[in-house]
Amino acid sequence: MRRTRNLILGLTLLILFVTGAVYGQGGTSNKAKPNGRATGNGNAHPAAPAIKLSLPNRKDSVKFLIIGDTGTGTAKQHDLAEIMLRSRASFPYEFVLMMGDNMYGGEKPADFKNKFEDVYRPIMAQNVKFYASLGNHDEPAQRFYEFFNMEGKEYYRFTRANAAFYALNSNYMDKKQVKWLEDELAKDTSEWKIAFFHHPPYSSGGKHGSDTQLREVLEPIFVKYGMNVALTGHEHFYERIKPQKGVYYFISGAGGKLRSGDVKDKSPLTEKAFDKDMSFMLAEIVNNQLFFQVISRTGETVDSGILVSKKKQ
Amino acid sequence: MVLSMFSAAATGAQTTATSEVKLTPQEKQLVANFDRRVKDYLKQRAQVKKKLTPLSKEATSAQIEAYQQAFVSGLRGVRAGTKPGYIFIPAFTQYVRTIIQTEFPPRDKAEIKQTILEAETKGVPLKVNYPYPETKELSEMPATLLLKLPQLPKEVKYRFVGRHLLLVDSDNSLIVDYTLNALP
Repeated sequence: MRRTRNLILGLTLLILFVTGAVYGQGGTSNKAKPNGRATGNGNAHPAAPAIKLSLPNRKDSVKFLIIGDTGTGTAKQHDLAEIMLRSRASFPYEFVLMMGDNMYGGEKPADFKNKFEDVYRPIMAQNVKFYASLGNHDEPAQRFYEFFNMEGKEYYRFTRANAAFYALNSNYMDKKQVKWLEDELAKDTSEWKIAFFHHPPYSSGGKHGSDTQLREVLEPIFVKYGMNVALTGHEHFYERIKPQKGVYYFISGAGGKLRSGDVKDKSPLTEKAFDKDMSFMLAEIVNNQLFFQVISRTGETVDSGILVSKKKQ
Repeated sequence: MVLSMFSAAATGAQTTATSEVKLTPQEKQLVANFDRRVKDYLKQRAQVKKKLTPLSKEATSAQIEAYQQAFVSGLRGVRAGTKPGYIFIPAFTQYVRTIIQTEFPPRDKAEIKQTILEAETKGVPLKVNYPYPETKELSEMPATLLLKLPQLPKEVKYRFVGRHLLLVDSDNSLIVDYTLNALP
């Protein structure tokens, strides 16, 4: 009898302990820091539950993150970076693609520190590499910056497994760059060819909209050589464009700024859009499938899906 | 949700917008002279650059800043007294205006102008040998227009500030030259 009573007491204490611990992680932390970060003024909750993944998270897949228009150094950029960091706990992405506008305003060493290094240091500390492209707020000299991994080039290519990534300089798409792109694509046998650059050839943005002159130059090349996906920024929101001539276009330009309500209603281009908060994309390539998930500053999933490559023969 | 990706092969009939401008003999001469003046700048630039400690491809932000400042300082020294129009002579400015006016249908022309003019470049000094301010936006050069303009070496770039065309150094942002109202 006494043994049973001790057992019940022990179990009760255990339950109280566990309940208290869970409450402590969630409730107490939020109470102490209602705005998420001591330095922030956003609404992210660092102690919130783990981010729900809709990605397969396979062992040998290519895992990466996509973010654009980051370079503000604001508390909200920090908030989003925290969600990026938390995402990595369950989805260990190996690298980050940057869609340009990496540095708004000045480009002094203090700016690189405040708008990039301080924000993403915890992620870089986990050996995550950032690959940058240049936007209309970026000096070309950023190509020499140690943490942008551009190897001194305004446009460049790198590969991972069956995927080739093309960083383009859409701010200055001259003949030389066009020729380079065509030459590289002509000999590229990768299953996935993914371009990333700043200006979106298709966009439902009210402020900027589609960059038709860039589209006129790039789209025929993308179509001819089987570019699968084009990732862009410039617009400060997220948009997945309906496939255009077999190419998937994404805008992920709300990494440091938000243009709330800028996506045009009932745009015929929009498959899915999100302009209520800042966001980033996670992506995973598993053979001929590319899984993507878009996550907001509050850790919510705002879009997800799977692209399937039909490799050009 | 599975989104099917179509093969791109079926659309191979499309052409790229890389068609060159057909030049008259006079325009060929004009462009050749322009190229020569750009090369003159590159020679000055090379003189200065060889005295600098080369910039690593994995430089710190402080190294980049120091390199740019030394580069600009050196170029200002060797280019002291250079007047605007040294590279963009009036005939070349007119050539640019003619390209924009004649090589594009009205809709493209309007989009080119919109792209150039929407950039926030107010406050960029129209001064030769001054650096383009790092705090100012760099206007996107419309891709179709770049394909029609004479190709520049990688060391320099065309940039619009409002309707005015600048030649800017790619490594140190020095305004090498400018010309007014190149955008009609």
